[in-house]
Amino acid sequence: MKFVFFHLMPYPYLPDDFDESYPSPSLTFPNKHFDRELGNRLYHRYLDELENAEKLGFDGIAVNEHHQSAYGLMPSPNIMAAALARRTERAQIMVLGNAIGIRGNPLRVAEEIAMLDHLSNGRVVSGFVRGIGWEYFASGVNPTRSRDRFNEAHDLIIKAWTSEEPFQWISPNYEYRYVNLWPRPVQEPHPPIYIPGAGSTETMKFVAEHGHTYMSVYAPTPLVRRWFDGHRQAVEELGMEHDPVKSAFSVPIYVAETDEKAHREGRQHIEWLFHRGLKQSFPQVYPPGYMSPGSMRGMLMSGMKPYTETSYEELLAGGYAVVGSPETVTARLTELQAQLGFGQLIGLFSIGDITSDEMSRSMELFANQVMPALRPLGVANRVTAAS
Amino acid sequence: MTQVTTSEAGQGVSGPPTEGFLEIAGGRVHLFRGGGGAPVLFLHAAGGAGRWHEFHELLSRRFEVFAPDHPGFGGSDEFPELEGVDDLVFHYLDVIEALGLERPHVVGASFGGWVAAELAVARPDAIGSLTLLGAAGLRLPKHPAADLFLMTPEQVVGALFKDPARASALFPGAPSVDDVLAAYRDMTAMARFSWYPFLSNPKLERRVHRITARTLVACPSEDKVIPVAHGERYAELIPQARFSQIEDCGHAMYFERPEEFAQVVTEFLADVEAGTQLSGASR
Repeated sequence: MKFVFFHLMPYPYLPDDFDESYPSPSLTFPNKHFDRELGNRLYHRYLDELENAEKLGFDGIAVNEHHQSAYGLMPSPNIMAAALARRTERAQIMVLGNAIGIRGNPLRVAEEIAMLDHLSNGRVVSGFVRGIGWEYFASGVNPTRSRDRFNEAHDLIIKAWTSEEPFQWISPNYEYRYVNLWPRPVQEPHPPIYIPGAGSTETMKFVAEHGHTYMSVYAPTPLVRRWFDGHRQAVEELGMEHDPVKSAFSVPIYVAETDEKAHREGRQHIEWLFHRGLKQSFPQVYPPGYMSPGSMRGMLMSGMKPYTETSYEELLAGGYAVVGSPETVTARLTELQAQLGFGQLIGLFSIGDITSDEMSRSMELFANQVMPALRPLGVANRVTAAS
Repeated sequence: MTQVTTSEAGQGVSGPPTEGFLEIAGGRVHLFRGGGGAPVLFLHAAGGAGRWHEFHELLSRRFEVFAPDHPGFGGSDEFPELEGVDDLVFHYLDVIEALGLERPHVVGASFGGWVAAELAVARPDAIGSLTLLGAAGLRLPKHPAADLFLMTPEQVVGALFKDPARASALFPGAPSVDDVLAAYRDMTAMARFSWYPFLSNPKLERRVHRITARTLVACPSEDKVIPVAHGERYAELIPQARFSQIEDCGHAMYFERPEEFAQVVTEFLADVEAGTQLSGASR
């Protein structure tokens, strides 16, 4: 099992009337609620937590991109990755990912990831995401072009990383008469690529064909199982052996000494994440054209409730989050691994309005008592873990 | 070549409308046609595709009304190669040609009004008259259009109607999965053409002086989506445009007050017909 310490860098200090007065912490939640001093401290606390994760034995430390939101404070994940690159030595620096669907200039992403690969001495992982629906409102990019832009930018960036001669690039959304990337990345042929999936069979096939890693998003276990099975099948249909490490399970985790304590402390943080952080309207998540007709039908038929209507108990029972003592968390993740077959665990430990102390204790308990027990799971026969 | 297949649908006083498909380059256009008289090409708003409305029915008592669904809306094909309103201008020139219309009156509402204005700018000679109902299309930073894309269905109703109670009579019951998917498809097409620049062509304002067709600009008094300032600006810039305001009505226009809108449009078109023997609409 490969262990990733993932951070969202949330802004937890919401006003008391948030639940009644604001439809979402994203896009329209006024930025006057960002306290400059508190926000400043958060960045340093969060970066400390990521650095500490390496010391505790996590194989990767991960950041991501969100815009105009208290849900996550990293409009530029590459800046966070740069801050980590020279303060760490061993862990992979994972950008999960750059929202190439909304970037005006995808070559800039190719350049920055290549630079990060040098700053980190070849430890960079490059995730590509489309960006959440509201970020199409926040950027002006037309969501009906989202998938095409994503695919074109993906192909362009890989070609830019791997080509040894200048080339011309013309696709419906991008035109460059000269592409000639300096620097080339350290890793050959290029940094590993991670892509999230949420049920689209096109994405499963796309990830399989390119040999990328498939990441889940927060969803009930039966759905995630269908996605992981679909991806694994897509790999096998290409005549290749599926390496479990390329199925990466994303889940918030809170560990305390006892189950009772874990629930007493953890409930509020899990609820913050799903009921406040992820409070968002239908059009904010699914702007027109963001979903293909087939994916939209699948989503409507899946019967998945909005996060805000899913109770703490349902979130735990559904496998959206894992909370408990080290023994309970070990048993639960072992069970989920057996059901889902993942070989990589992307844990979110800094959950919502968690305190720094709770967070440190949770990740230490996890690293010392849960990680060793899970380490042998999800390893392919002929492939070593923590690739 | 063109072919119109028809099947009966809806009901009408002046002869029932026919519903069918027009095959043109790039795909099939779903449309209704009904009534008799000089031809009117009606270009629908973001909502309202795929239906023959009371407004159409009233207009068809005096004119022959052609009401196509825009590409990607209602029953029309996707026409995925059409990316912007400039493409829609050529699309509707194809439609006019395929229907065999000469200089039809063009009536457009909201988004359809924008398309109508662009058509009148590009080919002033190709239309008999221009009617803009709560038309989008101008970029007026001091009078921004409301962001329908970000609204929940309840918010949309509140924004569109002066009296939301009228809306509940028009849309009873909870939508089915297919209803949601159909609405999402319409909004997807809408976004394709109007997400950015938002509901406007920044160059349109300095081009509308090219319009030579006689023009009616009609606005609902309580428009919370496209501020009345847009209609006023159109009327100011289009040579000799007539301006009319329909009281006690929201942007839903012909959903909320179909009789009043049909009346003001019918009167204008009748005036145009009466005043122009040679330059009026014909087919």
